[in-house]
Amino acid sequence: MMQLTATNLTKSYHQHEVVNIEKVAFGAVGLEGLIGPNGAGKSTLMGLLTRRIAPSSGDIWLSTDAGDTPLNPLLAHQVARFGLIKTNQRIQGFDSLTIRDSLRLALTPPKTEGLGSLLSNERDTDEVEEKVSAYVEAFPFTDPNGHARSGGEKKLVDILRCLIAEPKLLLMDEPTAGLPDDITRRVMDMVREKVVAGTMRVVVVEHDLPLIWEYCDYVHFLSEGSILFEGKPDEVKSNRVVAEKYMGV
Amino acid sequence: MLIVDAIFIGLLEASPLILAAMGFTLIFYLNGFMNIAFAETITFGAYFAILFNVVLGLHFYLAVIPSMLLSGVMSVAVYLLVFRPALNRGVGPTEMIILSVGVSFMLRYGLILIVGPENLFLNEPSISYMQVLGLGATNLQLVALALVFIMAGILFWMIYYTGLGEQMRGLANNRELAMASGINPHATSVAIWFIAGCAGGMSGVFSGVFAQVTPYMGWNVILITMLVTIVAGVGSVRGAVVAAVVAGILTAFITLVTKPLYAEVALLLAFIGVLTYRGTRTA
Amino acid sequence: MDYLIFSLSLMLIYIGLAQLLHVQFGLAGIPNFGVVGFWGIGLYGTGVLYVQFGVPLLLAIVVASVLCAALAYLLAHLILQRSGQAILAATLAFAAIVATLVITEKDLTGGVQGLGTIAFPLGDLDARNIVYLGILIVLVGALMWASARLRDSRLGRVLVAIRDNEELAASLGKDTAASKRTIFAITCGLMGVLGGLTAPLHQFLVPYLLAPSLTFAVWIALVLGGKGHNLGAVIGVFVTFGLFDILVETYAPVPAEQAILLPNFKLFCYGVLLVGIIMFRPTGLLGEDAPRVRRRSGSGRVRDIAETGAE
Repeated sequence: MMQLTATNLTKSYHQHEVVNIEKVAFGAVGLEGLIGPNGAGKSTLMGLLTRRIAPSSGDIWLSTDAGDTPLNPLLAHQVARFGLIKTNQRIQGFDSLTIRDSLRLALTPPKTEGLGSLLSNERDTDEVEEKVSAYVEAFPFTDPNGHARSGGEKKLVDILRCLIAEPKLLLMDEPTAGLPDDITRRVMDMVREKVVAGTMRVVVVEHDLPLIWEYCDYVHFLSEGSILFEGKPDEVKSNRVVAEKYMGV
Repeated sequence: MLIVDAIFIGLLEASPLILAAMGFTLIFYLNGFMNIAFAETITFGAYFAILFNVVLGLHFYLAVIPSMLLSGVMSVAVYLLVFRPALNRGVGPTEMIILSVGVSFMLRYGLILIVGPENLFLNEPSISYMQVLGLGATNLQLVALALVFIMAGILFWMIYYTGLGEQMRGLANNRELAMASGINPHATSVAIWFIAGCAGGMSGVFSGVFAQVTPYMGWNVILITMLVTIVAGVGSVRGAVVAAVVAGILTAFITLVTKPLYAEVALLLAFIGVLTYRGTRTA
Repeated sequence: MDYLIFSLSLMLIYIGLAQLLHVQFGLAGIPNFGVVGFWGIGLYGTGVLYVQFGVPLLLAIVVASVLCAALAYLLAHLILQRSGQAILAATLAFAAIVATLVITEKDLTGGVQGLGTIAFPLGDLDARNIVYLGILIVLVGALMWASARLRDSRLGRVLVAIRDNEELAASLGKDTAASKRTIFAITCGLMGVLGGLTAPLHQFLVPYLLAPSLTFAVWIALVLGGKGHNLGAVIGVFVTFGLFDILVETYAPVPAEQAILLPNFKLFCYGVLLVGIIMFRPTGLLGEDAPRVRRRSGSGRVRDIAETGAE
């Protein structure tokens, strides 16, 4: 399995420290949540964990059974090939590709997408088609054989793309925003199935607290750039500091 | 001394290029695309000068101003008729460049069809050779250089010290925000295209009088203009001046040392080098 | 008749170039404004090897094209990860370098005096120019077939994805830089092949052939026909080169004084067409294209399903 660990991680903008974490491990438990009030530094932390932002100091490691790899020297596509994938908070997509094509693309291993693919008679195997259909048919798309129509559908396709790519560690960046409740539930059920099956670990960044309490096995609480507390949902829910800083009690 | 010669010659030869680069970069900055049809603004500037200087018999220096102004008007016309509608339709930056190539073809070959393909000559004012710091130059070249610096100064003042400049920078950086704060994008754009057209036209007038007036004169310099603008950084008038001067000096230097065409190759290689190492600043 | 065969042969070269540009820009989103540079390396490379070093024509074409692909790969490393406008400018500059070097290195290339003669191949065959035309038809046809296969393949899909949203493709594990470099180098190498094949058509090479007008003619044809459509190149070249360069210039009954202006009129019309297309029908005459996915149906027969494509 895979974990993201960070030690002595800091990020400052113009002398203003936005993130300062002594040590944290994501993906050690299973389905984890990352919560915190606005301005806590969640987006920055996500950026650091996916290499979009360079840290001011500290180290981030990808830990697998094979060993530890430092995150920062890797290129974007190498990070994904290691098994770390993040859903997009703002809607991103491939305008020319249909929903199915988008999913097929995510599922197809890059080494089969070279020049040799001009010679194969079939672009996608039956196995690929089955997997794609399983995902597409699980959700009420307006035009399942065509393109994603609304913003919500595009968001959903983004999440499904990440899921179908079978990451070892999936970061979900505010998956509920823009999706109706029942769809979100269905997605999270799928996610939980995979975590339980042992094929994936997940970290969900969310504002929707009931969702976090319902699905997560472990919660990290971020406030003012630091992980103030982490533990099981019950522990976090009843923690005094969390209650003060976040839930306004 | 070779270096001083190179600097001097480079500066003199670069004056039309400096003007062209300034105009080109303004449009690039404001609207986000490279307007290849700017080549025709340069060419038409020279042809307008032929109209005033040769056909109507005005003295050369008297012909410069109306030629420049007409070029500005033409630039605005092209903007209103073609580029603004295209931008409003959401045409992307690469397609806008292709579109500008189409406009360039229309203007250049339309000109040839109407006026004919022959090379024309402007009636120069009387040339006197002068000595500046021990080096020779004609009064015409010095006037051109002086006008370049005046124009650059005006542009610099306009961009950084006037309301119009502020509006242009606002529009270029964040269109919605600019419009929300009351900036009229149409008036600002028209003004900028007018000024860019004037700069291009003046560039053409002086290119024409230093050499000759041909339908291809703008097209022949548009590549180097593009390179200089990109190297200078989009929208930086200051940078455009510097880059054009450096280009002129480098060309002069290499020309004095080896073949002139090697200067071109060197500039082009340097350009590719800048693009490689600069990162995404070019768009 | 001979002239018609010559014109048709040139037209096929243009179709090939436009088809390769379709792959580069229409599929992969790389705006290559240096087409004449890569074609020119093939053209002059073949010429120099044949005339100065006595290399047989076919081998000369191969060597020149490999050199072309290698230079394209190097250029790709330098600039393909930059913005579209930067790539446009850099490829334009590259072509200018090629043209300028052909003039300066006159010991090799003959400079402005020209380089010749590249003998027409196929020996004493009577209808050899028709046979050559036939060879070109087969080669360009193969190119079009390969381009269609590419569109329908996994590589084609990943190129389109890279064109649409490179960062997103990378976040899913696709090595976008490598894919772009590979396709760019190969297509530029093939442009070199077409350049090499043009050498025996002209037989005497001059630097004027390397002017950017070829690049723009190919672009105009592609944009007109439809940059995203596999047949866009053919239609575009037919409507520009075929219509003007062949039909009008060869056959239209125009008095001599007017005839000199004809090329200018042609280019004026190209300008009008280009402006019209970008303004009113940006996807070109043929519009968009969608991959045709071959699937084996239950009975084992291969079926063709055109998926509902974009727009």
